[in-house]
Amino acid sequence: MKYCDKCKISINTNNNYCPLCQQVLEGEQNKGVIEKYPEYVSINRKIYPLTKRIILFVTIVSIIILLIINLATFNGKWWSLIPIGSTFYFWVLISVGVFSKQNIAFKLAFLTSLLIGLLVLIDQATLQEGWSYNYIMPLLLFTCNLAISGIILIKRIDYRDYILYLLTIVILSLVPIILLFVKVISEPWPAIMAFALAVSILLFIIFFFPKSIKDEIKKRFHA
Amino acid sequence: MNKESSYDTWFRLDNSGKIFPEVSNHRETNVFRVAVSLTEVIDKDLLQLAVDAILARYPMFKVKLKKGLFWSYFDYNSKPFHVEELKHYVCGEINPKKNNGYLFRVMYRNQDIVIEMFHSLADGAGVIMLLKAITYEYLVLTGKDIKPDNLVPTKNQRPSMEEYEDANSKFYDRKNRKHVPEQRAYRIKGTPLAEDLTGLISGNMSTQAMINLARENGLTLTEYFAALMMYTIYVTQIQYRGHIKSNQAPVKIFVPVNLRKHFPSNTLRNFSNFVKSNLVMTKDDITFEELKILVKEQFEKGMTKSELIRKMSENVAFEKNVFLRFTPYILKKYALKIGYNMLGMKLNTMSLTNIGKVDFPESMEPYVVDVTAAVYAGKYNTLNCSVISFRDRLKVTFTRSIVETTIEREFFRHFTNLGFDIEVESNYVEEY
Repeated sequence: MKYCDKCKISINTNNNYCPLCQQVLEGEQNKGVIEKYPEYVSINRKIYPLTKRIILFVTIVSIIILLIINLATFNGKWWSLIPIGSTFYFWVLISVGVFSKQNIAFKLAFLTSLLIGLLVLIDQATLQEGWSYNYIMPLLLFTCNLAISGIILIKRIDYRDYILYLLTIVILSLVPIILLFVKVISEPWPAIMAFALAVSILLFIIFFFPKSIKDEIKKRFHA
Repeated sequence: MNKESSYDTWFRLDNSGKIFPEVSNHRETNVFRVAVSLTEVIDKDLLQLAVDAILARYPMFKVKLKKGLFWSYFDYNSKPFHVEELKHYVCGEINPKKNNGYLFRVMYRNQDIVIEMFHSLADGAGVIMLLKAITYEYLVLTGKDIKPDNLVPTKNQRPSMEEYEDANSKFYDRKNRKHVPEQRAYRIKGTPLAEDLTGLISGNMSTQAMINLARENGLTLTEYFAALMMYTIYVTQIQYRGHIKSNQAPVKIFVPVNLRKHFPSNTLRNFSNFVKSNLVMTKDDITFEELKILVKEQFEKGMTKSELIRKMSENVAFEKNVFLRFTPYILKKYALKIGYNMLGMKLNTMSLTNIGKVDFPESMEPYVVDVTAAVYAGKYNTLNCSVISFRDRLKVTFTRSIVETTIEREFFRHFTNLGFDIEVESNYVEEY
């Protein structure tokens, strides 16, 4: 036990000064005391790795160059938005798809929706042939549905966390069939395919997991 | 709830808990700590077993935070909980990504078991219950012959629904919910410590001597400490500097009140409110005697039932507001964040938490040396204080995010000058 005669306090430590007034403590220099609190080890704050910084730099420079060229040769079309959008998607794909610790169903649902949005935009910005919503949208939704339900069937343990994202994609799969009815889509079979799978999955959940779907909705939507 | 915790288990956040997830970050962590020192060195594996057993008994701690459309909620956490070795950082941010989504930590070092908890999950009284339960279970596993004596919940008891209730909304009164606007409080100044450092200084005193001292002055222990805290802040920071603009804000000591003592509830979740002392200290001749009278008066006024209900209802009314309730979570998050940054965070100079006496069963007492409590110190509350006692050992712990220790020094010197013995503990951050 050491003693500070200024603060008149005693303290059990290996340190030589008083924590209150920084004055030298009295008492024998006993080095065998186990400190009550562990020593400071700096928590290094995360610094971007060099690769990430290089890619980020190249991305930003490319975007600036693209915009400048687009503006310098402006003919009424914002074509630079297509490569810029794609670059943006690349970043989301890497950060959400690869590095984030979100669950896989969220990643699939989110990236699929974003990709559909991007492709529809590209389609609209170019020749407006309608390939994006005739083929890409229903087929991507179909694949995503298949992937999420496949993962849920294989990794049964966490299906409660996944079910909401599956439901989102199932509901999104109804969009192509609606577009078919309002005659935006001209090619019926991909839309019907996506719709058929979505309805089957929905019925499967309702028949076999009625409680978990009710619980999940109750949890997520309580106000 | 007469069933094992499982995937069906989920909880709404309680009224006070709703704000913390949105306003916490690595600087304002809203984390607090309780620790117990035992007579023997802690065995990591046995501690892990004890925690696992208790988590099975307390489903409300075995949760992770998830986002819903309107509010976030606690969902059953199926991942394992791991005890850790105590690191230097006091009340650091609890990062769900690093510990399987849990909102609290259990750590060990030498003879100490330390629990750090995110305020959303429980308040001081709740976490003391958890600490007692884990300590009891741990001591049983090391082969001690101890009995719970109805003071410690054990793993064999069934969880009761009462433990999970949001008591705030139970005692909420629609008619008594007037909002009283508050002025921004004085902020203790100092040189900031590095971001990953929190200074901690505790003083151990005699509980009985302190209670006697407070009684001689006609005050409770908390009132005495709060008055002394105001006086120390005044002497070290404001006296003769009242003409400076920033010193003209009122000094406000925020003292949490455990509402379980005022209202019949046994909830383990947040059920506390506060009283505040409040004084603009620009005069040059404020005395300690004056402050004792002021604090006593203000605390008595703040502790009346109707005032406690008013403060409680003010918060609950905010949560029950139809517009806010049906605002999607993403927008609500920012609304809460902005509101708290503008109002909540800057209304206190410091917080003084008195957890009170921790009662262990008689058969357990020989194995317990002392208990410690601490709260985080952030950007606005640069100095916080918590008080806890076990038998005749009262521990006052200051945590700070600034280098200066003048307030602690004057606080403890007040007692040593009166002739009391104080043993100090520190985590010695000044060196770095």
